[in-house]
Amino acid sequence: MIEFKNVSKVYDNNTVALKDFNLSISSGEFVFVVGASGAGKSTFLKLIMCEETPTSGIIIVNGQDLSSIRKKDIPYLRRTMGIVFQDFRIIDKMTVFENVAFAMHIIGASDREIRKRVPYVLGLVGLENKARRLPSELSGGEKQRVGLARALVNNPSMIIADEPTGNIDSSMSFEIVELLGEINKCGTTIVMVTHDLSIVKHFHFRTVEIGEGRVKNDTGLIRGDQK
Amino acid sequence: MRFSSIKYFIKEGFKNVWVNGMMSLASILVMICCLILTGGAVLLSINISNTLKSIEEQNTITVYLKQEVTSSEAENIGNKIKNIPNVLSCNFYPKEEAVKEYKEMLGALFEVLQEDENPLPDAFHVTMEDLSQYENTVSDINRIDGIEAVSDRSDTAERLTDLNRLVANAGIWVIISLGAVSLFIISNTIKVTMYSRRFEISIMKSVGATNWFIRIPFIIEGMTIGLISAVLSTIILKFAYDELMVVINNIVPFKGIPFDNLIWYVAGGFSIVGILFGLVGGLISISRYLKKEGGDVVAW
Repeated sequence: MIEFKNVSKVYDNNTVALKDFNLSISSGEFVFVVGASGAGKSTFLKLIMCEETPTSGIIIVNGQDLSSIRKKDIPYLRRTMGIVFQDFRIIDKMTVFENVAFAMHIIGASDREIRKRVPYVLGLVGLENKARRLPSELSGGEKQRVGLARALVNNPSMIIADEPTGNIDSSMSFEIVELLGEINKCGTTIVMVTHDLSIVKHFHFRTVEIGEGRVKNDTGLIRGDQK
Repeated sequence: MRFSSIKYFIKEGFKNVWVNGMMSLASILVMICCLILTGGAVLLSINISNTLKSIEEQNTITVYLKQEVTSSEAENIGNKIKNIPNVLSCNFYPKEEAVKEYKEMLGALFEVLQEDENPLPDAFHVTMEDLSQYENTVSDINRIDGIEAVSDRSDTAERLTDLNRLVANAGIWVIISLGAVSLFIISNTIKVTMYSRRFEISIMKSVGATNWFIRIPFIIEGMTIGLISAVLSTIILKFAYDELMVVINNIVPFKGIPFDNLIWYVAGGFSIVGILFGLVGGLISISRYLKKEGGDVVAW
């Protein structure tokens, strides 16, 4: 599903973000990625999302070699993954329903499919009654649920979550990770970058620690059970 | 492209005009100012050259025939004059009429002349299409047999031609400069609009939207703003123009072109320019943000 082989990334200002980085994540896994600021976590995610290209090495995501991917194929690769951001990145002028439906419009879904699927996904994240609300009327946790619903709506094979609990209070954080755990149980691969060690300790999922551009520690657990 | 996508693009394009209310309003106002300024300059230039043309048309030269020319020969000469390329009209002016006019003008003074000894020759009143060709046309006329003289108005012709050239040149430069200023202002307005929406563009990219999927609603939005501006500019310009005509007419007798004769040209021209500016402006300014990825588009 995700394979990094001897990947290095050096930015234009000579900052070395990743150095001979090797990591393999199989289909259906839930992986926490942890590490100090500047350790290379963000670069790791940017490389998966094709926002950056590696300086050397091979990256394979969903069977696609990212070093040889054509620019016009990048949007199609992104559609195979749902992405959840720390700052939610939902569009203020759109209602909750529209924010989620937007991701379906991108893949050319019909209005009928959208009307059927969006309420179902909003139900999964517990926002069925807030479909018509604007983001400004929602709490941080609810905004992140909208982000999660948008990531889920096209049934991706993998969800990449970049510190999804970074901007919400701790009780909400646990709920979000629980929700991700439920999604993972249905077979969706989850890669979650986090700073929150209490969450990592609470949920026994595979944990990869990145430090100085390398994998420093990998618990290597395929699946963990929730406490 | 699926029908549902086309429907979505059009709906989004129109909706965005409304949702981004203040920015749309700013863009519309800027575009209206630019269209009215440029359109006004075009109308002014058209009116001036139209007035000059009508003065030109009134600028008749008189071609006197020799006394011995018979009426059938005169008719022949008339046809020859009419066949000269630059001649717009050529009307026979018989000596009897000339005498009548002189009598009216001079009264008793003219009575000393006896009617059977009419000293005036038959003549033609000739108008020209292009006064800058005055000299050539007069020499063409002079070459025809049976012509005594041609009244010389080369001074007036030269002055009118110079004025016409000046108006045409100045008009073109005024329109080009105003057009360039308008383009600059409009492209800046679009840049500001895009800057305020870079966040939206970046989200679209991160969830897998292709560049065209992002572009099309922006283009439809730009074109809609252009069209709205064109319609409003036409209405405003009509009222302003009509009012201005009334004011000018109170000062000097001036017969401008009625706006209603021009309304479809103005509306059509404004619509084409407005839509084109919206389209090109949208395409150019969005491409800057489409080249960037996630965090580069906006500092998260």
